[in-house]
Amino acid sequence: MERLTPAFNVENLSFSYREALVLSDVQIEIAQGKLLFILGRNGSGKSTFLRLLAGLLPCRVGVIQVFGRDLKDIPMAKRAKMFGFLNQQHQAVFPFTVEDVVLTGRASYAGFSPKKADFEVVRETLEKMEIGYLRNRIYSELSGGEQQLVMLARVLAQQPRILLLDEPTSQLDFHHQSYLFSLLRTFANAGLTVVSVLHDPNLAFLFGDDFLFVKEGTIFRPPNGIEPWDAGFLNEIYPCEFQSVPFNDRAVVFPKITL
Amino acid sequence: MMKTRNVITLIYVLALPIIVLSLFVGPTQSAGLGAWMDALWGRGTNTDLVFTVIYQIRLPRVLLTFLVGGALAVSGCSIQAVFRNPLTDPYILGLSSGAAFGAALALATAWLPVQLSAFVFGLTAVGMSFFMARKNNTVAIVSLILSGIIVSGIFTSLLAIVQYFSDPFRLQSIVHWTMGNLHLASATKLKMAVFPLLLGSATIFVYRWRMNLIALGDDEARSSGIHPGRDKAILLIAATLASSSAVAVAGIIGLYGLIVPHIVRMFSGPDNRQAVPLNFVFGGTFLLLIDDLSRSFAGLEIPIGVFTMLLGGPVFIYLMKKNNIGWND
Repeated sequence: MERLTPAFNVENLSFSYREALVLSDVQIEIAQGKLLFILGRNGSGKSTFLRLLAGLLPCRVGVIQVFGRDLKDIPMAKRAKMFGFLNQQHQAVFPFTVEDVVLTGRASYAGFSPKKADFEVVRETLEKMEIGYLRNRIYSELSGGEQQLVMLARVLAQQPRILLLDEPTSQLDFHHQSYLFSLLRTFANAGLTVVSVLHDPNLAFLFGDDFLFVKEGTIFRPPNGIEPWDAGFLNEIYPCEFQSVPFNDRAVVFPKITL
Repeated sequence: MMKTRNVITLIYVLALPIIVLSLFVGPTQSAGLGAWMDALWGRGTNTDLVFTVIYQIRLPRVLLTFLVGGALAVSGCSIQAVFRNPLTDPYILGLSSGAAFGAALALATAWLPVQLSAFVFGLTAVGMSFFMARKNNTVAIVSLILSGIIVSGIFTSLLAIVQYFSDPFRLQSIVHWTMGNLHLASATKLKMAVFPLLLGSATIFVYRWRMNLIALGDDEARSSGIHPGRDKAILLIAATLASSSAVAVAGIIGLYGLIVPHIVRMFSGPDNRQAVPLNFVFGGTFLLLIDDLSRSFAGLEIPIGVFTMLLGGPVFIYLMKKNNIGWND
């Protein structure tokens, strides 16, 4: 079988904020059509890495290729059709309706004025995410979780081939979390590449195809022969003792608690 | 929902009749609607006077007032979207202090025509605020507002110096100018200002939907394929062009660009596709009505800037209390 061009190919990527080195010499390939999770501790550089992939931070040292093309050479409007980015949090200032917010995701298609087709995409996207009933509500008056779903709908309305999500479930209740992950699973099965930063390793292990770990500025996969839910391996990432419990053909982990 | 839609329709429908009727308001009581009709039919005694008053004095003033009001409102609306802050207007960037200093300097030394000098220094002030705030090719909102305050302070001090060294006669005209002065409107001023007023407003009109995206935030704009920096720069330049031309011909009409967009949003909602055109029409009509009122007090005309604040302030507070203005926090 012919090998697909990777969605992202990252070579020798380093990044620093002022003097502080956040990422150093990252070499990573991200395959197409997979549901990939990025795990690691707070402040380890997960979000920085995601923002670099999204082109929101300048890649000064190293190369980031998207579908084989250097990210630097891709104009912004083209990038928007390749990948969509969901921010960790979003502060609404004006009381826009949900429809107005989601419609802005069509900017790279609509230019200066949204067309009928753009409204149609917005309506379909909201329906697909089962939040059609929110369409005429005021975005800033929604709950944090609903706002997060709306912002995800905004990214989907952009119709990108890659989704870059920073903590997409941070505000979601239990039901919406599992709902969102099944949705991401369906997207990946349909060929969309999903790259998501996540705090909860278990949700990642339950749904993901591929896992990246970030620690002290380096990004890596578990060494050969070691599963990502291996308690010993996880202990190197998060400085606490883990207990691994088999689940289906995988495992979930719990921190060891001494009472 | 239906009720606000009716209000919007009413605002659009009433604009033209108000413009026309404003031609018959003014201290020259003999040039009213009846006299004009008579003059048109060749009746009446002083036909020439009636035509002169209406076409050469009132028409330019009415059109200029409408354009100034519309441009200030539209500029305010776009500045609020650009800064993602409903509490800003073009004057926050130092525009009014710069323009006031420019006008005062011209009134005191006659180095340039007053309007041109006001325009030049209005633009200079905004430019200074912008470049002072610029760092690593980006302009942070907080730095921009801070540098706007500082630039305002500098030009206010310079204005004080000019006032301090001016003789009482010139001092009076400087004070008059800073209070807003539509009573000096003329066909010349209209011709001078019409192009930049319309160009600035039209640019903002073209960008009106993109302003929704800009108002969501830089990351959101960039990841949807829009250069937030470029769009913001274009909107800022357009708003500065329009409002500094307004200041140049009409003096300082304080807070108009802040208040009107808020009033308009109560009817249209925050979607700038509706809000921008409505701001232009409502902003123009509302200033015209205020000016009509101020012209109706024959013999004693209150400067428009002062009158706008006296009338607009309470109207705004009333609407804010009555309607849910929609700012959650």
